[in-house]
Amino acid sequence: MKTTPMKFGTLPLLPIAILSLAVGVFAQAPQATPPPPAAPRTVQFPKPAEKILPNGLRVVVVQRSEMPLISSQLLIKSGGEVDPAEVSGAADMTAALLTRGTTTRSATQIAEAIEALGGSINSGGRWDSSAVSVDVMSSRIGPAMEILADVVRNPAFKDEEIDRLRRQYLNNLKVSLGQPGAIARFAAARVVYGDGPYGHPLSGTPESLSRIKRDDILKVHGTFYRPGNAILVIGGDVSAESGFALAQKYFGDWQGDPTTVMLDSLALGQTSTTNTPRVLVIDMPDAGQAAVMAVRSGINRNSPDYFRGIVSNSILSGYSGRLNWEIRVKRGLSYGAGSTLDMRRSAGSFSASAQTKNESGAEVASLTLAEISKLASGDLPDTELTTRKASLNGGFARGLETTGGLVGQISSLAIYGVNFDQLNQFVGSVQAVKAEDVKSFAATHLSIDSTSVIVVGDARKFLPALQKAFPQVEVIKVSELDLNSATLRHAVSKN
Amino acid sequence: MRKRFLAAVFGCAIIATGVIGAGAQTKMPQLKFRERTLANGLRVLSVVDKSSPTVAINVWYHVGSKDDPDQRSGFAHLFEHIMFKSTRNMKSEMMDRLTEDVGGNNNAYTADDVTVYYEVVPSNYLETLLWAEADRLSGLTVDEESFHSERAVVEEEFRQSILAPPYGKFFYALDQRSYNTHPYKRPTIGSIADLDAATVENVQKFHTTYYRPDNATLLVVGDFDPKQLDAWVDKYFAPIAKPNLPLPRVQTKEPERTGEKRFTEYGANVPLPGVGITYLIPSEKSEDAPALTMADIVLSQGRSSRLYQALIYQQQVAQSANANADLREDNGLFQLTAIVAAGKKPEDAERSLRAEIKKLQDVPVSAAELEKAKNQIITSELRQRETNLGKAQALGGAAVLLGDPNRVNTDLDKLQAVTAADIQRVAQKYFTDQNRLVLYYLPESQRPASTGAKASRNGERDNSPTVREGSLSYKRAKGAYAK
Repeated sequence: MKTTPMKFGTLPLLPIAILSLAVGVFAQAPQATPPPPAAPRTVQFPKPAEKILPNGLRVVVVQRSEMPLISSQLLIKSGGEVDPAEVSGAADMTAALLTRGTTTRSATQIAEAIEALGGSINSGGRWDSSAVSVDVMSSRIGPAMEILADVVRNPAFKDEEIDRLRRQYLNNLKVSLGQPGAIARFAAARVVYGDGPYGHPLSGTPESLSRIKRDDILKVHGTFYRPGNAILVIGGDVSAESGFALAQKYFGDWQGDPTTVMLDSLALGQTSTTNTPRVLVIDMPDAGQAAVMAVRSGINRNSPDYFRGIVSNSILSGYSGRLNWEIRVKRGLSYGAGSTLDMRRSAGSFSASAQTKNESGAEVASLTLAEISKLASGDLPDTELTTRKASLNGGFARGLETTGGLVGQISSLAIYGVNFDQLNQFVGSVQAVKAEDVKSFAATHLSIDSTSVIVVGDARKFLPALQKAFPQVEVIKVSELDLNSATLRHAVSKN
Repeated sequence: MRKRFLAAVFGCAIIATGVIGAGAQTKMPQLKFRERTLANGLRVLSVVDKSSPTVAINVWYHVGSKDDPDQRSGFAHLFEHIMFKSTRNMKSEMMDRLTEDVGGNNNAYTADDVTVYYEVVPSNYLETLLWAEADRLSGLTVDEESFHSERAVVEEEFRQSILAPPYGKFFYALDQRSYNTHPYKRPTIGSIADLDAATVENVQKFHTTYYRPDNATLLVVGDFDPKQLDAWVDKYFAPIAKPNLPLPRVQTKEPERTGEKRFTEYGANVPLPGVGITYLIPSEKSEDAPALTMADIVLSQGRSSRLYQALIYQQQVAQSANANADLREDNGLFQLTAIVAAGKKPEDAERSLRAEIKKLQDVPVSAAELEKAKNQIITSELRQRETNLGKAQALGGAAVLLGDPNRVNTDLDKLQAVTAADIQRVAQKYFTDQNRLVLYYLPESQRPASTGAKASRNGERDNSPTVREGSLSYKRAKGAYAK
């Protein structure tokens, strides 16, 4: 059932917001002002049921039976952050390789088996987790779960598949490095996280991928893939009882240490190494557009500032957020500008970004910083705060409309150990955030004094203007870019 | 890979339903819609679904980039952006106030054959949005300043979708090369030069010509009372006059191809070469459309698909490989594309793509493969219909592009009825040597040095227009451009 959750009508100032916008609209027959809204309806999100199997596996089931579809994710509570620096990408490759062969099925047989059901299976690493997901019609869930369990529990990790996947990753990386936006995101991670656990590209670098051996994959799998470090989420057209029965049937005899892997050994918590913000230009002479980013360290997912953070971000981001308003709507400088508060187990990042013609790279960088800065120092009228909260709540609700969206949201809460009550408390918690909360959050966590700027593009067209605004700008040629190090620059050769 | 073939926002030639296969347990619920047509020609389709307190509103205008005025490629799409500026009773961006500010959202997209506007809002705002859609159908009051600012946005959209990504120019060139005379050869996104030439007068004329009730279909899906909807529609839409002007329609027919054509394009930023093949195929209304769609799925849906298995997994000649039955209102394209793996040649990828085509022609697909493709379609359709917006899109595609809203409930049966012999027959009929066009996309560094002019791969002179920086006109394959 696609519940919408939103207590749309309880948003207190909506009629006022609408009326204020009608000011200045000239009256004309048949009706010059929009009719007001009718009385709203409210709905609750479905509540997940959960239990822990004797082997330590946490199982979460969320039922919504309107469409005969089920999504399921087997989550491992460890992802790219566990990669040793010299073999970055190993955790992602390990997860991706699960579907590339088990002790009884080849890669092709796995794909054929799930797709014959009309379903799909995908696996990969993320930050703070790795996941294998299946999407299938509910009438086929049994065979699909059998495949899901097989790939998680019995992967073969054949050398042949490792080499094949390595080549695919190297090719994909080549394509990514042809895109200014992708380069900016890679560089941003190094600028914010330095040489820390979140600093490298999730899928590795050309150099690290070449070093990954089967033993590195086996080590990731042996250390982290066990019931005590895993969560199984099943959602859609499935009851709690049948979900638990499926979990018991396919994962009940999964052996392994039931304790959770200790994460403090992974040096998380020491993420940001850069207190001095950088202004970095990556010169890509062929770039068809410049990618502009402002980025700094952020907060973690379990921070008490979570709702203050997402409301603050929503003032800046979204179609009618301040960044898009100033950069796109008012000035026509981009197809879209926005920001992201990326919260992780340890402090994540805040970033604002836009792509623009090379000639306006410096202008967009300055506008972006100015808008971030105004959040702490400028006015935040109630009408604006109210409408941005409505937009945030509406987006949250739409994200839960589909089976996949619902399961994805539950998975994210589960990975970070957030109480599922947050689903139904989301709207109220957002509504409770006040203008002064946003200002203090922005002053504490979004100060531009510790924000770095990255511009990837044809430097000839924006560097002089950028240097005027930021005399400390560093320039790195794209051919010299080194994603393995916090400096982002290949060591200069001696000759 | 991994595309939602039927969820493509337009050209949803193939829509689900019926109590069909995939095991007796899985049934596609029929979409029970109401239909009425007002005296002014506006068609109204609605589906009640009270499972969430939201409603999706769509307005489909039967005008697309193929209707761009002469020398104004990209105009229908630019116009779509302008529809969010001032109207008789709304100032610029008021549509965002009525949607985003109350927890809803809105957008629009322009495709070759249609332009579609949509909103998803809390259901208590339905009347407000009907008023707003009626208002912008009644007339625009766009001013020079907002027109110029929005045109700059569209030019950034051009750069972001065509110039910045490594293969933007490749897909543009493939589509543009693939048509000889039909206006489909002009890019939906247009060119900077044509966009710069557009005026406010063009906007008003385009609105008068195409934005009229008898060229529009209103869809409402979600939580509402049908009688109340009828009353609101009568109140806000019925007073809009039907203009006493002819509604122009593209009459140009794309001629049959009479021999293989080969082209080479070069780009400044090409990490790996690209290879594209297209075959001209009939309209989405053709009886052959379902079999062509099934051929697409067999070739490219999932990691067990033929292209993935052959080009990416076994031969490792491609970084990615795809097929697309790009069915349109007029002649469409069956496209096969590959990004060539490092160390391999475009010739290797072309040979592999053509080997897969030949296999489709020579050997019927197996019963298991056919059953798999049909199950994939059902799953995909179920997923599209999880949301009110998805349902509205499916119904709109059937009504406007296929000319019959009932096809939202009958076309999946046609797909399920496709046989292995049907797929083999259409492969033999359309994937012929004389109907083939091949495009190689190579790094600028590989352009033959001997001549400043561009030469095609086989040495013939290439009569493509001169490439000028900033004025390239490109189009994504099967690309719809959003607000």
